[in-house]
Amino acid sequence: MTPIIQLVRRASALPVIVACIALFILMAMTFCDVILRSVFNAPIEAATELTRILMAILVFSVLPIVSTTNGHIAVDLTDGFFHRLHLSRARDVVIYVVSGIMLFWPVQRVWVLAERARDYGDVTEYLSIPTYLIGWFITLSVAITALVMIATGLLKAFAPNTLSEPM
Amino acid sequence: ADYTLTISSWAPPTHGINAKMWPKFVEMVEEATDGQVTAELKLGIAPPPAQMDLIMDGAADASIIFHGYQPGRFVTTKLIELPGYEGSAEDASVAYWRAYDQHLKAADEHRGVKVIALHTHGPAQLHSSAPVTTLDEVSGLKVRIPGGVGGDVGAALGATGIQVPAPKVYETLASKAADGVVMPLESRKGFKLTEVAQNVYEMPGGLYRGSFAFIMNEDTFADLPPELQTALEENVFGEPLSREIGKIWDEIDATGREATEAAEGNAINAATDADMEKFSAIAEDIRGKVIAEVDATGVDAQAAYDMIKSEMSSN
Amino acid sequence: MTAALIGFAIVLILVLVRLPIVFAMGLVGTLGFAYERGGSIFDERGLKAAMSMVGRQITDTAQDYGLSVVPLFILMGLFVNKGGMARELYAVSNAFLGHMRGGIAMATVAACGGFSAICGSSLATAATMSKVAMPQMRRYGYSDELSTASIAAGGTLGILIPPSVILVIYGLLTETSIGKLFMAGIIPGILGILFYLFAVRWTVWRNPEAGPAGERATWSERIRALGSVWAVLLLFFLVIGGLYGAFDFEPLNLTFSPTEAAGMGAAGAFLIALFRGGLTVGSTFEVLKETCFTASALFAVLIGAQIFSNFINLAGLPEALIAMVTAYDVAPFVVILMILGIYIILGCVFESLSMLLLTVPIFFPLVTSLGYDPIWFGIVVVVVTEISLITPPVGLNVFILKGVVGDVSTGTIFRGVTPFWVADIFRLALIVLVPIVVLYLPEQMGALGH
Ligand code: NA
Ligand code: NA
Repeated sequence: MTPIIQLVRRASALPVIVACIALFILMAMTFCDVILRSVFNAPIEAATELTRILMAILVFSVLPIVSTTNGHIAVDLTDGFFHRLHLSRARDVVIYVVSGIMLFWPVQRVWVLAERARDYGDVTEYLSIPTYLIGWFITLSVAITALVMIATGLLKAFAPNTLSEPM
Repeated sequence: ADYTLTISSWAPPTHGINAKMWPKFVEMVEEATDGQVTAELKLGIAPPPAQMDLIMDGAADASIIFHGYQPGRFVTTKLIELPGYEGSAEDASVAYWRAYDQHLKAADEHRGVKVIALHTHGPAQLHSSAPVTTLDEVSGLKVRIPGGVGGDVGAALGATGIQVPAPKVYETLASKAADGVVMPLESRKGFKLTEVAQNVYEMPGGLYRGSFAFIMNEDTFADLPPELQTALEENVFGEPLSREIGKIWDEIDATGREATEAAEGNAINAATDADMEKFSAIAEDIRGKVIAEVDATGVDAQAAYDMIKSEMSSN
Repeated sequence: MTAALIGFAIVLILVLVRLPIVFAMGLVGTLGFAYERGGSIFDERGLKAAMSMVGRQITDTAQDYGLSVVPLFILMGLFVNKGGMARELYAVSNAFLGHMRGGIAMATVAACGGFSAICGSSLATAATMSKVAMPQMRRYGYSDELSTASIAAGGTLGILIPPSVILVIYGLLTETSIGKLFMAGIIPGILGILFYLFAVRWTVWRNPEAGPAGERATWSERIRALGSVWAVLLLFFLVIGGLYGAFDFEPLNLTFSPTEAAGMGAAGAFLIALFRGGLTVGSTFEVLKETCFTASALFAVLIGAQIFSNFINLAGLPEALIAMVTAYDVAPFVVILMILGIYIILGCVFESLSMLLLTVPIFFPLVTSLGYDPIWFGIVVVVVTEISLITPPVGLNVFILKGVVGDVSTGTIFRGVTPFWVADIFRLALIVLVPIVVLYLPEQMGALGH
């Protein structure tokens, strides 16, 4: 089990790098767009659609990692209560597994919508980038999120020690 | 009422689409069905390009789509957007529906939903903060213009395109991120252009016309009893609804013109004869290109174009 | 309406057992939407409709152009940190205020206000300033109550003084202009600083031991300190000036949209940090990574909120509330007071974002139907949200302080925060009674382009 987890952890560096590059490009492009527009009267026409795509990349690349490292925004008001009853772990297991399963339906739908966009030939306005590619990417990201959340929940239940080191 | 349809819509609440067109739709539907069918409006459920998916899957029963928001999906709808037609939005909408019924329908671009009306806004003109009086001055301007035919016209005139959704136009012009915007005259009031783009450069027939459809969920329609279906098909859907909605576009265009004439510092500059001639050459180029594009979808584009042209001039 | 209220109750329960907000709102929103469309949460067509709406929200929200300001402003705040600008802000306010009684706490509040002008988050403002200001206040024998409270309260300004992630999200949920919301936050933010300064004075007046005077800086020291904050001033001027139209003259003719302001701010902060040697490839990567993680969680929660708010919309809750207010002929001002009361109570247990996401879809249509200005209501919501950050038992800014400082109890911090909390209530009353305080600047901005 442990080697697989280590492998997953190493592999998770790749989407992080992808997200960071997307964000850096987004920053640099916005900067250049303003300069080009104001000084040279020549804005980047495709800036809007590229911004959209870069945002989808940066948000969804890291979603699986955020989802399995307690990164989602949650209300921790009852933490002490669960802790006192020694129910924290059981609660976390349930939350991870249930959340992961819950994503099964959206994954299917995002996929259907992407395939539909492909069938209709939807593209972006200036660069004619097919929009289903973004849909596929989001489907993949949410599907991986679902799987790793379920896996995290199960590991927390049956092999909590394998998760003890920081991700 | 026995059946209440849910309408999903996206323009600002006060825009003619929500303030006049949907109420007209409800009025017509109620009248045709003796009040057995009615509808209620829900705003902001999803952004404009999502509307067709929502209707297809029944997240709402009816909606309005602007074809230019989904590049790649709609090609035949570009025919009505061509510059060079002369006539009101009402005439154009009726001609559009007839051409659709006879020719364009075959391309099946709205597959998955029921098309219940097709319409266009009035002729789109250039609105800018600095006065534009000749066609040459458009070159080098940063102009917000939707894709499709509008984009082709902008490119042919040498303008740089700026991509923003219609509700953001005011901010974009106020912040000078764009020098101008190409929209119908109604937006002078609907999007408060009288404040941020005081000048209109008016080309008869417009630089293009935007193409819209009212769409409906197929199951919702199938669930209605046959006599109500017939009543709606005969008295509301298709040409009657298209005509009424076209009429409203004309109406709100007139309001926009009045608002401009009343607003201090606003001016409408008519294109000169020389510029009209110059523009008709540009329009012809674009027409040729679009007709070829529409031909590729398998419909007889030239016949459809000729039909729209003659329907509109016969009015 | 009943369905919406039941849904709302279920979300509260799920959120309280620590289900992430995106899943709580997403689940209830989806099933509620299915119920509204199909008449039952098990209806096949209703579920298909709901899933389609959910699928589109997932793909569309992450690609909403207006939301690109969120990662860019977060990025700017983190680069600013690396550039050492928090320390400089503190040094300069300390040079001017430190010699007074309670002066170092006052300097802390002022520095928090300055830092808020370049950072979009209250938690980040509190976390950053606690590292900079806490050791100083300890060195001069300031009481733990006063020192932690001045940072926890000062930090709340992060979401009111622009840029502000919360205002961006309000703008998205209600389709109001983000640029105008930012302008509207400036005067209430400055009032916040002033009221907090009074709170510090009040604390040291009650207990002079809490905040002894520090050393008086000489004028040459003060001028030197002023000279070092150029980077902060430059960034602030770039972002806020650009938004307001300060560069709107020949030949520049430059006014920023919020996205452009955020991009320029982030790039500017990056260049300054780079120029000062505060960045390595590794630390740049860390900053980018942290931004992506934060943005991803924020977008997830927004998707959940949009799904839930579509259910509320379909269920007709806002219309029902409006009908109720009309039927009972309640005075609009009474409605506002009731809403504020609800916010203060919710603020006890909820943190800023959850509170905003849960309540705005319900209250916004009601408040605007009563004729109140959407920009004004946005600022009111942000101010009550700020208050929630320091209201016990759950006050995130207080917890941040506890986390960074360590050896203080949250009880001590909450005790110290009390005068600041009271100052906040006074500020809220002022904003509610005198709306022009909020609306003056955005109205000036409306004149742009005339
Ligand atoms: Na801020
Ligand atoms: Na609280």
